[in-house]
Amino acid sequence: MTNVLIIDTKAGNLFSLRAAIERLGFNVTILQQPNAEFFDAIVIPGQGRFGTVINNISKNRWLDYLKNAYENKLPILGICVGMQIFFEASDEDPNINGLSWFKGKTQALNFPKKPMVGWATLSSQLKTWANKSVYFVNSYAIKESEHSIAETTYGETFCAAIKKGSFTGVQFHPEKSSEVGSQIIFEALTAGNTND
Amino acid sequence: MINCLMPRVIVCLDVDNGRVVKGTNFKQLKDMGDPVELAVEYEKQGADEIVFLDISASNEKRPTALKLVTDIANHLSIPFTVGGGLKKLNDVKAFLDAGADKVALNTTAVLKPEIIDQTALAYGSQCVVVAIDVDKKNEELKYYINGGRKLVDKDFYQWTKEVADRGAGEILLTAMHKDGTGSGFDNELTQSISQQVSVQVIASGGAKNEQHFLEAFQQGADACLAAGMFHSGEYRVDQVKQYLIDNGLQVRI
Repeated sequence: MTNVLIIDTKAGNLFSLRAAIERLGFNVTILQQPNAEFFDAIVIPGQGRFGTVINNISKNRWLDYLKNAYENKLPILGICVGMQIFFEASDEDPNINGLSWFKGKTQALNFPKKPMVGWATLSSQLKTWANKSVYFVNSYAIKESEHSIAETTYGETFCAAIKKGSFTGVQFHPEKSSEVGSQIIFEALTAGNTND
Repeated sequence: MINCLMPRVIVCLDVDNGRVVKGTNFKQLKDMGDPVELAVEYEKQGADEIVFLDISASNEKRPTALKLVTDIANHLSIPFTVGGGLKKLNDVKAFLDAGADKVALNTTAVLKPEIIDQTALAYGSQCVVVAIDVDKKNEELKYYINGGRKLVDKDFYQWTKEVADRGAGEILLTAMHKDGTGSGFDNELTQSISQQVSVQVIASGGAKNEQHFLEAFQQGADACLAAGMFHSGEYRVDQVKQYLIDNGLQVRI
């Protein structure tokens, strides 16, 4: 049985995310601070402001925990702001440094209407992602990343998903993206570092 | 440049006392079934979102309504909005914390417009849908509160602009003069508001068939909402979407 940890950043309800992971047949544990338990995969949810989430993650001793998990090739899924914090900075809170695992920053993009709300199709070289429709809710996004595996376009093209080692990051909300979202969550939490 | 964001087909469920009910022209109620079951069925048919209205209308039924919202969140994997009877910021918070992705504010937004700013600040604009019930009489557009019963004696266009400025993420625009008529959405209205404000506009009121969706999307609606034509079993969501695709639109299937 796969045991999945959701980090509770206290920025919103986790019902949908939990239910989406449980529907895959996985066990879910939600924690505000690390404990000594072993988990097979980690999810950082996509709610809240960039600065608030970073502060919460640092304050609650998750930084070393996450680094350690990543070095041990544990699957990690970061959703929306839960992915953005691993980049260098964000226009949402310009005075706060990102965790800088990856190069690049989150920007206020030139969307025709803000926030971007709704289903958009992905362009990707990978079969799981190509031409799939997923649900986006965002005013900010990462325009470019060397780790990008899927892009979408709304006013301008931006990075919809990244993968580096055992880390998968998605700008959209897989827990709100019906069957396609379930498949993406499943792969992110089980595939490990197959694309490295 | 190609735009990958697709127009949305939204199904509206009117909830009263834990059951889905059907009403026409803001009157007459009929039992249509269990909200969770119906919502899951519409997700299977390909609905892009679900809106639950009047779910929370009275205070004494609040705990039951909150439980229902959590139940929906646990069963649905597409976004959903709840609205009706949210009077204070605390009500809004309670429903978002219970699992709703968005709240729809109508009467309360008019009476206490600062609740739009407060909700957007606390949860983000994407959680705030402002619903506006507008009626056309003698070629003049007027908006109403209290379920379409009370006229607001202010400029309608000014209000659409104000809600966007205050931080609403979307506007749900119901044309009361179209509601229940089956004569299609008021596309001229949707288009004029959609061009004026910087947020997405959801057209509502008047849909009876797939052609009405096509016309609305061709004329600039970001999303279209309907209830009766789906609840009656006359149309399935996937049927409407196939028609849109056959006519050259890109929608999610």
